[in-house]
Amino acid sequence: MRLLAAVVAAVVAASVAVGDDVAASTGSNLSFNRDIRPILSENCFFCHGPDAATREADLRLDIRADALEGAIVPGDPEASELVARVLSDDPETVMPPPHSARGLSAAQKATLQQWVLEGATYQSHWAFVPPERPAVPGFETSAPDAAGESARQSWRSHPVDRFLLQAMDREQLTPQGEADRETLIRRLSFDLTGMPPTLEQIDAFINDRSPAAYERLVDRLLGSPRFGERMTADWLDVARYSDSYGLQVDRDRRVWPYRDWVINAFNAGMPYDQFMIEQLAGDLLPGATESQILATAFNRLHPQECEGGSVPEEFRSEYVADRTQTVATAFLGLTLECCRCHDHKYDPLSQQEYFQLTSFFDNIDEAGLYSFFTAATPTPTLALPTEPQRQQLNERMRVAAQEQARLAALPGDRSSGFERWLQAQRQSAASSQPPADQPTLAGQIAYLDFEQAAPAGTTAVAGRIGQAVQLGGDDGVQLQVGNFPRWQPFTVSLWLRVADHKERAVVFHRSRAWTDAASRGYELLIVDGHLQASLVHFWPGNAVSIRSQQPLPLDRWVHVVMSWDGSSSAAGLRLAVDGAAAAVTTVRDGLTKNITGGGGDELMIGARFRDRGLTGGRVDEFRVFDRQLTQLEIAELFEPGRIDALLRRKVLSDAEQQQLLEYYLACHDSEYLAQLHRLREARQQTFSLADELEEIMVMREMPEPRQTYLLARGAYDAPTVPVDAATPAALLPFDPALPNNRLGLAKWLTDPEHPLTARVAVNRLWQLLFGRGLVATPEDFGNQGSPPSHPELLDWLAVEFIDSGWDTKRLIRLLVTSAAYRQASAEANSRDPENIYLSRSPRYRWPAEMLRDSVLLTSGLLCETIGGPPARPYEVEHSFKPVARDSGRGLHRRSLYTYWNRTGPAPAMTTLDAALRDVCRMKREVTATPLQSLVVLNSPQFAEAARELAQRLTRQHGDDVEATLRDLFRILTSRPCTAAELRVIHELHRQQRERFTQHPEQADQWLSVGAVPRDPALDRALVAATASVANTLFNYDGSVTKR
Amino acid sequence: MNTILSHLHPASRRQFLRRFGLGLGSLALADLLGETGTASAATAGVLPTTHFPATAKRVIFLFQSGAPSQLDLLDHKPLLNELHGQELPDSVRGAQRLTSMSGNQATLPLAGSPFKFARHGHSGTAVSELLPHLAKLTDELCVVRSMHTDAINHGPGVTFLQTGSQFPGRPSMGAWIDYGLGSENENLPAYVVMVTKGQGGQPLVSRYWGNGFLPSQHQAVRFRSDADPVLYLNNPPGIDAAARGDELAALKQLHALTLEQTSDPLIEARIAQHEMAFRMQASIPEATDLSDEPQSILDLYGPDAAVPGTFAFNCIQARRLAERGVRFIQLFHQDWDHHGGLPQALPTKCRETDQPSAALIQDLKQRDMLKDTLVIWGGEFGRTNYCQGQLTANSFGRDHHPRCFSIWMAGGGIAGGQVYGETDPFGYNIVESPVHVHDLQATILHALGIDHTRLTYKYQGRQFRLTDVHGEVMHSWFG
Repeated sequence: MRLLAAVVAAVVAASVAVGDDVAASTGSNLSFNRDIRPILSENCFFCHGPDAATREADLRLDIRADALEGAIVPGDPEASELVARVLSDDPETVMPPPHSARGLSAAQKATLQQWVLEGATYQSHWAFVPPERPAVPGFETSAPDAAGESARQSWRSHPVDRFLLQAMDREQLTPQGEADRETLIRRLSFDLTGMPPTLEQIDAFINDRSPAAYERLVDRLLGSPRFGERMTADWLDVARYSDSYGLQVDRDRRVWPYRDWVINAFNAGMPYDQFMIEQLAGDLLPGATESQILATAFNRLHPQECEGGSVPEEFRSEYVADRTQTVATAFLGLTLECCRCHDHKYDPLSQQEYFQLTSFFDNIDEAGLYSFFTAATPTPTLALPTEPQRQQLNERMRVAAQEQARLAALPGDRSSGFERWLQAQRQSAASSQPPADQPTLAGQIAYLDFEQAAPAGTTAVAGRIGQAVQLGGDDGVQLQVGNFPRWQPFTVSLWLRVADHKERAVVFHRSRAWTDAASRGYELLIVDGHLQASLVHFWPGNAVSIRSQQPLPLDRWVHVVMSWDGSSSAAGLRLAVDGAAAAVTTVRDGLTKNITGGGGDELMIGARFRDRGLTGGRVDEFRVFDRQLTQLEIAELFEPGRIDALLRRKVLSDAEQQQLLEYYLACHDSEYLAQLHRLREARQQTFSLADELEEIMVMREMPEPRQTYLLARGAYDAPTVPVDAATPAALLPFDPALPNNRLGLAKWLTDPEHPLTARVAVNRLWQLLFGRGLVATPEDFGNQGSPPSHPELLDWLAVEFIDSGWDTKRLIRLLVTSAAYRQASAEANSRDPENIYLSRSPRYRWPAEMLRDSVLLTSGLLCETIGGPPARPYEVEHSFKPVARDSGRGLHRRSLYTYWNRTGPAPAMTTLDAALRDVCRMKREVTATPLQSLVVLNSPQFAEAARELAQRLTRQHGDDVEATLRDLFRILTSRPCTAAELRVIHELHRQQRERFTQHPEQADQWLSVGAVPRDPALDRALVAATASVANTLFNYDGSVTKR
Repeated sequence: MNTILSHLHPASRRQFLRRFGLGLGSLALADLLGETGTASAATAGVLPTTHFPATAKRVIFLFQSGAPSQLDLLDHKPLLNELHGQELPDSVRGAQRLTSMSGNQATLPLAGSPFKFARHGHSGTAVSELLPHLAKLTDELCVVRSMHTDAINHGPGVTFLQTGSQFPGRPSMGAWIDYGLGSENENLPAYVVMVTKGQGGQPLVSRYWGNGFLPSQHQAVRFRSDADPVLYLNNPPGIDAAARGDELAALKQLHALTLEQTSDPLIEARIAQHEMAFRMQASIPEATDLSDEPQSILDLYGPDAAVPGTFAFNCIQARRLAERGVRFIQLFHQDWDHHGGLPQALPTKCRETDQPSAALIQDLKQRDMLKDTLVIWGGEFGRTNYCQGQLTANSFGRDHHPRCFSIWMAGGGIAGGQVYGETDPFGYNIVESPVHVHDLQATILHALGIDHTRLTYKYQGRQFRLTDVHGEVMHSWFG
């Protein structure tokens, strides 16, 4: 203590010299959130922040009460250890310590001192306090002759402008006047629809002199279906949309219906809260529609793996984490990923809260791997029948239900036939010898008695009867039958002897492999000592499965039968042990698709590719039937002579009577058999149609929630304490009236009191229109994020957005009708080089999609269809994983439809800064590289568009080159060219026309680029020259840059 | 306005490029204008100088995808031949997780290498007979036998080695280096990847050399073996160099007219961008055209040397790019994933790569470039000492093994003739001097003069780096 005091005194002495500068340089109006928090967060919180595990010296600086306990004496910098430490020049005591690679500037040190002097007041982190609507600032008129005053005057009426102007006045900046009409319509058309205006639209706007002309234009563009496409192109980065699974093997997947859902949602003006709720939890809405369930595909768009040898749980836990982190980034603007391994270093979010949040997304019946050997859609899924399919399916289901009802009614009708049969059987039994040892039952299609030499990898041993086979675990016994579709009843019967308790062992199966094939087929396993029988389309989410309640008896011969009635429901799957029906528990009851395919088409006993075999187990008398045996027949297999014995008995119990009736119907009653056949036919019709239906991955809660665990260091194999679903406490209390599931989470997010959701949303919309968010880090609203440039404006917009009913179009309309949006662009101002205060309209290159789409539109090549499957334009032939391009319309669809493969994403798009879409991204960096020039100068997509545009203009203007060039320039830039510009392109045109006239073969080559044939009726050299000018202008700053 | 780039003196051109954060293969307009991005990346590199003197100016990473068997190439284990066919003792395996490929196997029989090993050079480093050319160069090599990794499957394994994380989203090592140091050549990219053509095996994905959250300019440019070494490098058909020249001249004039109205750095950058593209259209074909290589050089690299797309061809290209100032060159050669049939498949892989790899070292050395070029050879993990599937008289396979694997390095300040680290006699566990993947990454950066803890990029509120929060520099490797 004494030592500490001495250090403080020495440091204070050293700091007096700078003391005067402190007040001078910082003024007095320090704001904790603006001035202090960023310094503390960047330099101190790592060791003295929310993460208790790595907190040093038991000192916490993110909470005032804790800081006051040892580090800060309000009003007294000299007595404050914090000040002493940051000012220290002793490497042993200075903070932050030298090894941390952090450090404070002199100004930052001075600011901290001043803040302590002023009382060291704290504020809650701005983003964790619910936004309140601030008053719109007043407007103060400057002197009429002051610079920029006329522009200022036009900013007086719009609330957004008033906020911006207040900051601008403070920074001594003045806005620009309104941009010219050509610039406005171009800017607005790109921003709202992703494409330039046509010449007709430009003219109409210029000539519309009514005061409401601009508003009308805004409304027209917001009403265009192109609006939804433009907004969706942006959202796909957030949703990490991809047409392939990603990671290593990276097969294609069918998720484009989700993209269509997003387009429709934007075009229909779906409120943003609803947009969130349906994507997060549409499946949990009361009476959820197909469309609402489809929306939840959002949660499944993360990368998925099927690489051989992968550990399923490792990837499943990764999927859950991705879902959680995507929601945190997209809707909360929080860097939650940090908390996966430890408490957050900067924000009040704990590792426990991270895993509580993952619990909301942990609860679907999914596998960690998609299927290597089949094309099954990973569960849970939603079937997406076409309308005719839906009608047909309903009709077939009706027929199948009818056939089933008829079958169920038959036993009563057939009682007289039964009596007659029983009579006859009794007579013949009385007059004959009991049957031989081995029963012969109808429908047996395979029988292995193992009396021959043992197959490779197995051993012949003493059996139940004669010899049996003993399995080694790695090699099985292969049969030549067993490829049953799910409507086909079947039975498998065997004697089984197992010496040891088995956690998992394959008794028999019809499938290619275990996880690699998602277990497609059917199987009998020993799981944790119990028998488990399953029919599987995709394990675990699309299967029926039952497990015996009693463990398999060990060290003696046990008779086991698995039988199936072809119904596709768990009730039709039965297990029998030692001749009697086994009591079973239903493990899964949701088989909706075929169980065939994927390879491994015949039954195998005792082993499966990459699964655990029946090591040391013995099997004897293995029989396969293509029908479901009755209970009596099963008893007969266990104890031959059972049927005969019953027939000889004079008095039968009710149960025995019933068993004989079932046996009679299933084996001897022609009417019953005919009806059974009709039912099978009806099921085949129904199921085969259901098997054809397209599906999409969605969310569906499991009936029993999965227990989520806190995973140490985030590792899938290090679960520690169980945690239940909950939301982070620092943000907003979770209303106990809400259901504690994804729907509750979605409602919590869209609560008007939520501090983050609306701010994050309006910030992204702002970024969409101004290039940079009011918070420049849209993915991080936490302590380490950029503080908002205009906090009051952000809050005002957030509240306005909520009060408007989360109306996205309305908010966009509000923003684009501001004078700030409508102002001209101008040279950079040295007072605000980054244009944070928006005293000029921002300038940046249009995104990849808009560059390509605009040449498709202007050339007339654009395919107008909205929505649908991915398109494969020219560039996909050149991706890292090349695929064949489309031959027709797919070459000319808008870029948001371009086939997206994570392994080899569309190379021209990524060269132009498109996001890779393997994780959620909230913004793209804008770069300019020579490789981009090569794409726009040389690719067939642009070259073909140049020719089509040239042909279009040549048809219109013939040999009037000047008219052609004037139009060309204006089509591509939305403004007329100057005389000087016309001279430049005219000269280029002359040069190229001369060249192509002299070298017609070059003109032919140039005009043959692309799949669309050229127009042979037009002058070759003329079109070639015009196309060259067009291709050149595609690269012109006026074509590619927002101004 | 006469600030057209090509009219500038080279020195002032460099100055211009630096001033606007352009250059050297790419431009970062966001920074230039400060209007949209927060990145401070300039292609001259964010580091004004290296953190300490570099021992390597450039890196050539010969990535052997699929994981070559260290037990049959660089880490000799006679005990496995003695115990061939016997079960892997549980005491050796410990708690190591296995892949789901062999994890359910009933037995795990040890498999000795069928290939002979011999000691070579002054260092006496033991090398398999499958690497006869490399064996002659052991005194140039630093063989590391104690590499280990966290991943047990290819996708996560390669991603980990390339980006320091098993899951997608982080920048690759080459992207980090480009971000840190920029390029030495205005007309070529700083980070080039070449993939051997037509190889099977585990698929590669472009993310392995991606930019992650760094600006896209830092991703590798993949040189292809087809007519366009770089995407759309060639003019469209019918547009010859003269026609293109006229187009670009007109474009420059249009931009100059705009500059007369407003001095906009965005437009100056636009001009520079197109001019660099034009220059790349000449410099890349020049760099990738092997016709001026003498026969003696082609012979050195072996029979495949003149066949575009082969590993040998790519090795010569790597040397040419290194000569021209490309800083990080990475070759990918696939199909080392020998789960079965190893005795037949492994010699083929070695034939494809041994001579070219050795030739690259010799070729660099004879040009006095080995001293500042770091050459690295290795895969994403090792292979098991036990057999996956059937162990037969003539054949066996090995599964993935993360606990130990071997790589070699040469040049770039790394001392030759050393063997680092040791595994147990079973070749299953490391017993001395483990080197984690993050350590290797830290050491590669160190060779380039970069402190791996200080090359960071703020994303999602956190300073990220290649080595996450780990990594120790292997100082003893340096001569």
